[in-house]
Amino acid sequence: MTEIYLRLVDLILTPIIVVMAAVFFLRGHDNPGGGFIAGLTIAAAIALHILARGATDVRQRISRYLLPLVGVGLLTAVSAALLGLYNGGFFKGIWLKFYIGTVQIKVGTPQLFDFGVMLVVVGMTITYLLNLSEIDEDEKPADAAAEAKHR
Amino acid sequence: MSTLWISLLIIAISGPVLWLLKPQRSHWFALLAALPPALVTGWQLLQLAPAAQGQQLFVSLPWAPSLGLEISLRLDSLAIFFGLIVTGIGTCIAFYTNYYFEDDPRQGFFYLLLFSFMASMLGLVWANDLLSLFVFWEGTSITSYLLIAFKTGDKSAVEGARRALIVTTAGGLAMLAGLLLLGQAAGTFRIDELLAQPHLTALPVFPVALTLLLLGAFTKSAQWPFHFWLPGAMAAPTPASAYLHSATMVKAGIYLLARMQPGMGDSPLWFWPVLMIGTITMVLGAVSALRYTDMKAILAYTTISALGTMTMLLAFPGEEAALAVTVTILAHALYKAPLFLMAGIVDHAMGTRDLRALAGLWRGLPWVAAVALLGALSMAGVPPTWGFLAKELLLEEFYHLATHNEQIVGGLGFAAAVVMAVFSAGAIFGLVWEAFLRRRADDREPAHLHHAPSFWFVAPALLLTLIGAFTALFIGQIQTIVTAPAAVIAGAPIDVTIKLWYGWTPVLITSLAILAVGLAIAGSRRFLRNTLNRAPARLNGVYVYDAIIDAIYGFAYRLTRIVQGGPMAPQISVTLLAGVLVLAYALLQVDVSKLGMLESNELPLAPEFLIFVVAIVAAVTTVRARSRLSAIISLGVVGVAVTLFYVFYSAPDLALTQLLIEVLTVILLILVFFRVKPDTRVFEPNRRRYLRFGVAIAMGLFGAGVVLVNHFFQVGPSINPYFLANALPIGQGGNVVNVILVDIRGYDTLGEITVLALAALGGFAVLRSPKLHALRRRINRLRRRPAGDFQPAPPPLSPPSIGGPGGHLEVGND
Repeated sequence: MTEIYLRLVDLILTPIIVVMAAVFFLRGHDNPGGGFIAGLTIAAAIALHILARGATDVRQRISRYLLPLVGVGLLTAVSAALLGLYNGGFFKGIWLKFYIGTVQIKVGTPQLFDFGVMLVVVGMTITYLLNLSEIDEDEKPADAAAEAKHR
Repeated sequence: MSTLWISLLIIAISGPVLWLLKPQRSHWFALLAALPPALVTGWQLLQLAPAAQGQQLFVSLPWAPSLGLEISLRLDSLAIFFGLIVTGIGTCIAFYTNYYFEDDPRQGFFYLLLFSFMASMLGLVWANDLLSLFVFWEGTSITSYLLIAFKTGDKSAVEGARRALIVTTAGGLAMLAGLLLLGQAAGTFRIDELLAQPHLTALPVFPVALTLLLLGAFTKSAQWPFHFWLPGAMAAPTPASAYLHSATMVKAGIYLLARMQPGMGDSPLWFWPVLMIGTITMVLGAVSALRYTDMKAILAYTTISALGTMTMLLAFPGEEAALAVTVTILAHALYKAPLFLMAGIVDHAMGTRDLRALAGLWRGLPWVAAVALLGALSMAGVPPTWGFLAKELLLEEFYHLATHNEQIVGGLGFAAAVVMAVFSAGAIFGLVWEAFLRRRADDREPAHLHHAPSFWFVAPALLLTLIGAFTALFIGQIQTIVTAPAAVIAGAPIDVTIKLWYGWTPVLITSLAILAVGLAIAGSRRFLRNTLNRAPARLNGVYVYDAIIDAIYGFAYRLTRIVQGGPMAPQISVTLLAGVLVLAYALLQVDVSKLGMLESNELPLAPEFLIFVVAIVAAVTTVRARSRLSAIISLGVVGVAVTLFYVFYSAPDLALTQLLIEVLTVILLILVFFRVKPDTRVFEPNRRRYLRFGVAIAMGLFGAGVVLVNHFFQVGPSINPYFLANALPIGQGGNVVNVILVDIRGYDTLGEITVLALAALGGFAVLRSPKLHALRRRINRLRRRPAGDFQPAPPPLSPPSIGGPGGHLEVGND
């Protein structure tokens, strides 16, 4: 699965998809998008990367960050909800609005929560993709040796 | 912000800070670690006098005001008393830990756990809200689990940790049910308001709620028959054993009983179970202690015994019993924690804490010997220690009962207390004699001193024993510290003056006789040790526990084999049919004739028909595909067609999500199946195919039915207008779907991402398990085997891997 054209597609498309995910995330609160969708988009980008580079390669580089990513995501979401205690209760949203030029910028705890959702979705999806895809790559040598023994 | 919150925060934040600072073995770090709990101790000491006069500090923080949930804390004398033990002993433990771990790189992590525990425990004893109490309670269980399993490579440590966690959290859940029942029936979750209710014991739910509460308290405080987890917890590093499993956490159950005593103590449903279980635990623990030669095991069993004593005393209402409880708790904290620390130092210096290999340590470790001796004197109840005071008050309570028309309870209690005192004195005298005083070790190669401890390593233990041994001399000046919390337990002010010397009373004579018999028992310890060790192993709680756990796993295994043993297709059929049946039943309950019709007579547009046709063609192709890859791809086409419907019906978020899920599913399937050879699908006998065809049709019809009913009839009042109206004003967002997800229904989303995180963790554990690797290798061999038209299914999987991913991987017969 490491054909040259796939690698080329990966090289061009993966960064674009990640940027797309960022756009999805940022516009999420007012337009279609949001943390869940952004997370899935990033997962799709990484999936493309896996297809192009092979699961073993990708796993070696990122697998140790995945479960911590899930944990950090969950913590982010909970902290966003905890921040609401300053506004009268768990999960009460806090929003800051300001203008840069004429563009209104809103920043709020629900967005932080959404960010946590995104991290959890990415971590979980890629954990499964990588762990399910390893079937024969890791075990080829062991199997070959075993079969050689048989013969 | 109130000082209560600040104190809790200081303790909670110290953990991560110390962790990040990367501890070094220098005095300043020990002082730094001891500083936060010392500060909180000092503050609590200042609150002691006002609290004794009845001033209480209240704070509360709204959690979810719409549900009436809050975190509230209250600082009264009882809370201060337990809080002082938590932070006071905690100060010494934090100091000691720095020397105990030396250059261990995981020391910082230990500090993190230790301070997380301390914060939970402090919250537990300060909580004024039943649910906050429960949250802190479980916090201590979890940190205890992590601390016991600190040496992750040690199998017995991990097993002991799991056992402790299962027992204490099972009890904790029972307690939660009890707290909820009680709170609902009484109409308040505030502890002070609850206990102030005059008819608490007359509530109809009281017997059930009380039983559940007692379960929680007994499991946490290692009462018989749940006591077996505590010796297993001794695999924890010694600072954790000394702190959690002797001085503080195991006293959480005692704290709960003490807290509830004024409201519930006059019920016979309270009196008998608490008295019986406490007495059994007290005697059993003290006698069992003689069986062991491991210092920590001896200390663990005498701790069980002491916890039994406290429980038993809490059965009685009244000021004498309450006073005996508080003095026992304080005395126990002051002698048992340093004795544990002593065991840790000996272990550190000698490389073993087995009494058979130790002898004459007083020469090499004089300060440690001083700690052991003073601790033992207090534990055995030699005057003028706190231990002596505790024993006097305990015996006095029963002597008083026996001579004031409660002959049976008083007499039996007195006898049990004497047995306990004799055996724990014997156990601790034996320990001190064997380890420190005698000349030669038993049978083995004696251990040698290879690592003399620095004075500062011993200092915290020495400080605690000195306090425990001598401050009771000034009991007249400092008695508020025990009388004020006793007044809270008794529910009435106490105007007793405690004295060390009441003259030659029968109780004092008994007390002295106990010491003499204790020495005799220490002398005949080998004979007793051998005799007691002949008891059948089946009587041991661990065996019973293991049998129960094995039975649960066995049942789960058999059940899994029935419901998830075979290939995927029947499982999915059963799941789908079950869903259809339940929802179809619900649908039938809806009386359609009474529902209002909705106006919608538009006909579908031409493009929609087109997508419809594409979806059907793709679905048929999926079923008829000859190779897996083409089946996967045409399934993807079905998904995309559905996505297009969402686009037409203006649900862009849904469409995006669906599209991404389709993409990821196809990639996942490709990654899994791409190299499966041969890439042809095996067609099955017709009968089975018709069956699945039937299931698919039923599911399809049902789905269509639900949609049609929803489309034409107003089933219930719609919630849509609420969301549409409130998304912008409440949620500050134009995208209603997103606002629902992250704001209005944030709790749901939090629950969902927690499930996702657990699924990631579970999937990781299962997919990485060695059993699964063996299975994969087997399947790979089957695949490579040259086969005819029909590939046999791999043989049934045994033993099962957790969660049953086996079904997903059986590719032979799909």
